[in-house]
Amino acid sequence: MSAVGQESAVTTVAPNAGAERQPARKATGRRIEPFAAVSYVTVTLFGLFCLVPLWMIVAGSLTDESVLGLNGYSLFPAPFSLRAYELLFTGQSLLNGYVASLFITIVGTILSISCTASIAWVIARRLPFISRPLTIFAYVPMLFNGGLVPFYLLVTQVLGLTNSWFAMILPLMLAPFLIFVTVSFFRQMPEEILDAARIDGAGELRIFFQIVLPLSKPILAVLGLFYAVTYWNEWFTGLLFLSDPDKFPLQLILQNLISNVTNAASLPSSAGAAMAPVYQLRFAMTVLTVGPILLAYPFAQRFFVKGITLGATKG
Amino acid sequence: MTVPKARAVAAGSRRRGLSSRDSLVLLLLAVPGIAWFLVFAYGPMVGLVVAFKAFNIRDGIFGSPWNGLANFRYFLTSGDAATIVFNTVFLNALFLGASLFAGLVLALMLNEIRGGPYRRFMQSVIFFPYFVSPIVISIMLQVILSGVGGRGGLVNNLLSIVDLPQVSWYTEPGAWPWILTIVKVWQLGGYTSVIFLAAITSISEEVYEAAALDGASRWRMALSITVPLLLPTFAVLVVLGVGRMFFGDFATIYAIVQDNGVLFPTTDVIDTYVFRSLRMIGDFGTTAAIGLFQSVVGFVFVAAAVMVQRRFQKESSIL
Repeated sequence: MSAVGQESAVTTVAPNAGAERQPARKATGRRIEPFAAVSYVTVTLFGLFCLVPLWMIVAGSLTDESVLGLNGYSLFPAPFSLRAYELLFTGQSLLNGYVASLFITIVGTILSISCTASIAWVIARRLPFISRPLTIFAYVPMLFNGGLVPFYLLVTQVLGLTNSWFAMILPLMLAPFLIFVTVSFFRQMPEEILDAARIDGAGELRIFFQIVLPLSKPILAVLGLFYAVTYWNEWFTGLLFLSDPDKFPLQLILQNLISNVTNAASLPSSAGAAMAPVYQLRFAMTVLTVGPILLAYPFAQRFFVKGITLGATKG
Repeated sequence: MTVPKARAVAAGSRRRGLSSRDSLVLLLLAVPGIAWFLVFAYGPMVGLVVAFKAFNIRDGIFGSPWNGLANFRYFLTSGDAATIVFNTVFLNALFLGASLFAGLVLALMLNEIRGGPYRRFMQSVIFFPYFVSPIVISIMLQVILSGVGGRGGLVNNLLSIVDLPQVSWYTEPGAWPWILTIVKVWQLGGYTSVIFLAAITSISEEVYEAAALDGASRWRMALSITVPLLLPTFAVLVVLGVGRMFFGDFATIYAIVQDNGVLFPTTDVIDTYVFRSLRMIGDFGTTAAIGLFQSVVGFVFVAAAVMVQRRFQKESSIL
């Protein structure tokens, strides 16, 4: 969702709030209303619509290439084959890709969270002559930006980050929208705790690191998840700035597989070019790229819902 | 960000006892962030002078000779301008309308499903596509539209069941605004529904109870209570979306369309056009000029949207 101009403020909406609500209705002896029946059916269909494409990829990755070529996709993998995964796991590319993706995601997320929380706290403290100019300073880039060309020249000519993972990390490091979400979270913090610490003689930095941050775990988790997904899914900056295939993160390896199918044959170093199951490999690679997100999903979703409702509802 | 008045008063206590030395110490915390903004947000704005130059790598950004408005003239007379501006606005409008509508309908319907595991499961399922990267979406789409090795695909197989001719989707530009819209609904429908569901929870339970006493059906309640009360949220989301109309998540479009020139007439937008010209032609001056044009028009959209949004927020109780 677009972030521009959001007057974000922390709402009192609980995480997963939508799920808690019970419509008012008498439970006993009521027939099912037509609207409720339509709702069940529609929501279920939409759920299938969301899942089927993913399932087709999973099934395709487990289907033998010869059949894939003849029948196209299949909803059930027959004949079952793990060959693509074997190839991927014996080759070097997958490992390189994971190393790159993990580096970008982990280092990027840590940098992002620390910088976002720090600048947000300075804004949230309402310091005279500092906080308000800083707010405007962080807000203007949401309204106006230089565009792709100056950005490209900056990263390649001025900073010289070509072929560096930091070319994928630094440009995404701060999201003004998330800074403002964090500011509104910080402003909800009970003043008494901070005052108590001040009376005990704690300095400003100590208050931030030892009191504010430990009390801010929910918002830090939200930041972490939003940034982590951004970094994990990022490929556009990679396409712009990375040319060494050994440094490609997973998304970029996949992108290479789509734009040039013949490249797929040379992907696993152990496979002969003629024999490599090109499509099956592509699907398997896709599954392995989405995999970590699927594993983290049950945990992540709760926080994401919180993040959205923090930022997007209420003024 | 304006400071709401009530909070500004409460903030008085925050300032108490803070020396200017403390302020400076705190400012240290902001230094990395400030540095980032200067380099990555404000730096490119300075770099926009390239738009007015005949740029060459050897002389650099400031050494290259000026050439006035030639870059802009070149773009505006090239014949592509109208197409990509239209595509940008048209596609964004389709995406915004469709994903908001889908989100609203899904939220209303999820609200009818009693709490419990099934509802939680369905919420997770429809929210999931938000996490899927553009590249993966592009691969899924290929499987569905053209199948493996260009044979069939799910959609074509369905078409042949009802005796319709097969379509070679990747050579059919007319279909792509709608295909991309469906992709956006897939990607953002669940996400948007969460925003609406959160707004639904803030509607007072008594309104529904009163309606139930009057014998209203659930459908009637959704239509006459929930939807009107969600309108302010809807309006703000529309306004924000309109503000972004000149920009957008074009990594998604590029991931899907790639360099398939057949589809450009309906799918080429400002961002993809700029990216392609930069990579293939390497004409920095003209592409920077297009970027500046985009930023200026985009700014007008955003500024207007923010102003309209302020009005909505003053008048509505929810936002």
